[in-house]
Amino acid sequence: MTETSLALNVPVEGMTCASCVSHVEGALRELPGVSEVTVNLATGKASLALEPGRSSLADIQRAVADVGYRIPIAEITLDVRGMTCASCVAHVEGALKELRGVEEAAVNLGMGTARVRYIPGVATAGQMKRAVREVGYEAQERSAGTDALDRERQAREEEIRRQGRNLLVAGAVGLVVMAGTFYDMLGPLQRLVPVWLSYKWVLGLLTTPIVLGPGRQFFVHSWRGLRHGVTDMNLLYATGIGAAYGIAVINTLFPKAGFGGEGATFFESAALLTAFIVLGRWLEALTRGRTSEAIRKLMKLQPKIARVLRGGTEEEIPADEVEVGDVILVRPGESLAVDGIVREGYSAVDESMLTGESLPVEKKAGDAVIGGTLNRTGAFRFEATRVGKETALAQIIKLVEDAQASKAPIQKLADWVAGHFILGVHMLAIAVFLFWFFLGYNLFFDPQSSFILSPYKLGEIGVFGFSLLLSVTVLVISCPCAVGLATPSAMMAGAGKGAEHGVLFKGAEAIENTSKLRIMVFDKTGTLTKGEPSVTDLRVEGVAREGRSPHRMSEEQLLQWAAATEKNSEHPLGEAIVRAARTRGLPLPEPESFNSIPGLGVEAQIDGRSILLGNRRLMGERSVTFDALLPEAEKLEADGKTVMFVAVDGSPAGLIAVADTLKEHSAEAIRRLHQLGLEVAMITGDNRRTAEAIARQVGIDRVLAEVLPQDKAEEVKKLQRSGKKVAMVGDGVNDAPALAQADVGMAIGSGTDVAKETGHVILIKDDLRDVVVALEVAKATMRKVKQNLFWAFVYNTLGIPIGAGLLYPALRVVVSPELAGAFMAISSVSVTLNTLLLKRFVPSLGRPARPTHPVGLAVDQLPASAAAGE
Amino acid sequence: MDNEKVGHDVALRSARVYLPLSLGAGGLFYLAATLTGDHTLVARMGGAVWVTLLSLIVSMPIVTSRVKKSSRA
Repeated sequence: MTETSLALNVPVEGMTCASCVSHVEGALRELPGVSEVTVNLATGKASLALEPGRSSLADIQRAVADVGYRIPIAEITLDVRGMTCASCVAHVEGALKELRGVEEAAVNLGMGTARVRYIPGVATAGQMKRAVREVGYEAQERSAGTDALDRERQAREEEIRRQGRNLLVAGAVGLVVMAGTFYDMLGPLQRLVPVWLSYKWVLGLLTTPIVLGPGRQFFVHSWRGLRHGVTDMNLLYATGIGAAYGIAVINTLFPKAGFGGEGATFFESAALLTAFIVLGRWLEALTRGRTSEAIRKLMKLQPKIARVLRGGTEEEIPADEVEVGDVILVRPGESLAVDGIVREGYSAVDESMLTGESLPVEKKAGDAVIGGTLNRTGAFRFEATRVGKETALAQIIKLVEDAQASKAPIQKLADWVAGHFILGVHMLAIAVFLFWFFLGYNLFFDPQSSFILSPYKLGEIGVFGFSLLLSVTVLVISCPCAVGLATPSAMMAGAGKGAEHGVLFKGAEAIENTSKLRIMVFDKTGTLTKGEPSVTDLRVEGVAREGRSPHRMSEEQLLQWAAATEKNSEHPLGEAIVRAARTRGLPLPEPESFNSIPGLGVEAQIDGRSILLGNRRLMGERSVTFDALLPEAEKLEADGKTVMFVAVDGSPAGLIAVADTLKEHSAEAIRRLHQLGLEVAMITGDNRRTAEAIARQVGIDRVLAEVLPQDKAEEVKKLQRSGKKVAMVGDGVNDAPALAQADVGMAIGSGTDVAKETGHVILIKDDLRDVVVALEVAKATMRKVKQNLFWAFVYNTLGIPIGAGLLYPALRVVVSPELAGAFMAISSVSVTLNTLLLKRFVPSLGRPARPTHPVGLAVDQLPASAAAGE
Repeated sequence: MDNEKVGHDVALRSARVYLPLSLGAGGLFYLAATLTGDHTLVARMGGAVWVTLLSLIVSMPIVTSRVKKSSRA
């Protein structure tokens, strides 16, 4: 091992025997710069010495993979505190990515988290936390569930308290400093302010604790960053506050130094700039947490205690200690701790918080129940089937968290711009300083000029003081906080809003892509239709003979005989007829004899009558003519229905049409999609006539019929070639390749086992209207993103030239640093407030958002009837 | 440990580049201010310090990230 080589201890998965060890060792030894390779089968690790620059970790991964093994990748989420802007995101990501063994790091400013994929053993959580701390932020591992919720809330409350205290000090003392600074201009109010307050040294004494107290955070963060070669917003503030304060101190202590003398003591600038920046931080802390309210609501659904039966006795244990197989007792008004199967009892359970289903669902023995849902009426016992991270609630929370933590393409661009912005601003600050120092001051300076919104005159300020003032103002006014917040805050709110309606987006990219959709392709069977045939039409021939006297047969009679004939059939069409008869409450007599005629139909003897049920060919073979009903039969077939003929005692009796029927809301959903300007297509393996019949009923624009399941993805690809974004809506199992191929795959009716689903968007309920909800939520979210980015960039685009003194030659006014600070605070707060408007979004199809329930509702807090289990 | 060692090495090599660059920019400013007008010593010195500081802020991350990249290559 050379002096420069690094000792690595890499985990290797898949090794089962000594030959695996030699394979891995051999593969690693062949890499240039790798020596001292030892692979340990028992520990599943490879130790080696690596000379940096000759081989990389990626080479090692590849070499191990080439011989059939795998270096596992672990994932960790860190809570990162102290991030305020997009450049902070870049710094934290940069610090993490620089660590050896870190594959990927994605930082979410809004949530204050960093999700890191790394090789365990090569990089450690401790190294990551240290790396984050070294660039000026605090980091700790995120724990799951309610602990994370508590910790996050505590951290947010602590930040609000801290910035609130800072604001109180900076705001109150800053106002006193301002009153002292403008003492001569106070007019009648002068009587309220003692004259000594206007003394420069008094103003200096008052400003110092503001700069060293509430303002200290900016200097500390800047210094930590600078030590590691990174710059962020804090540096902009620190240079702004520091320059204003430093010049003021010099001009107070050494008025002849040439920095503008007593006429240029900007103590009030330093004080108010600090106050405004702290005000911005405080407002941000107040509003930022509210954009992730959805995840908090979901986390709150998880009860902390479960009552289980162990050893025949009832025990209250923490919910996270429930094990699979435990029997849990649930009383009215209690939340269910985990997922399971009801073993005993009967109740109605409110599942609206997870599925969006507004009515309580009845539960009896054998029914599945979901953790986090609320038992409304009766008491019951259930057996735990999924606990901890496996529960539906945990999966949904993970999915929403992942979506909120991920980055949309538009956000990556905004982060890149904001991350590089700081450097650009500092370059601009140099240019502004040089211009005003060498040219502008001599050409335009007027001692009578003043600050915008201030009677304060610039007076005897010298060339250096004036140029520095404008340079500092550019630094402060350019802060791209709003740019950094614009996208993640809206994405978080959008992902949460979707979850509220049972629509789960798997990542911010899914939201962005959904908003751009132009073609929506629906799978037919099971998506647009119910996926099982049902009786749609009954036609009676007119007359049937009973004994010797003819009488008119009713539809019920026709259905009853047909159903009795099919009673023992397992054919789907026969089952549909039996189901229809049972739904109508018709008694089904036992057939005296039954004969199945393969490919044609069935015949049976019922109450002494001979019933023949089958297709046209069967009737032809038995010489039963249906002349009167043939036009009707053809019309039904043209509508995509399967027609079965019924003959009684050799005479035509009637027709029964069976078809896969549309789901309740299919037509409504497609109408709304058309209104939103989307082209709607349907893909199916059915024959074209049946497919077109269904398409006509719901208004499908394009029919892709007779497509084999394995060819659906290819059809989606063909549509994508038109350049339009295509979504595929399917059941998530049979349609997996097509869902994956589409720009957005929507898995519908997945229930709550969301982790297994393919697709970019998961629709928990089996309701096609949720496709529209997904689209509308995505569009509303992207609208907010664009509005936020627009306002954030408009602020900077207008603010920077004015701050740089563009208006000065004409108007003789400049923006003071404290006013620039106020603008900066307003811009980031306005972006966050604009995002919060998304909370008022309601889908156009008019269904109310599901209600939220108080957590841990006690029995005595419920209405009396519910508590009594009525 | 390895990461720390590499980080320290990068910081040292970077400083050897950005410090002379920034000081050079400040010096250049001082020279220009001296040659192009009747600026006071305080204005020239103050300006040189400000230009040096801003140049440092600009050059530090650029140089550091390049040195890091080259050390990884």
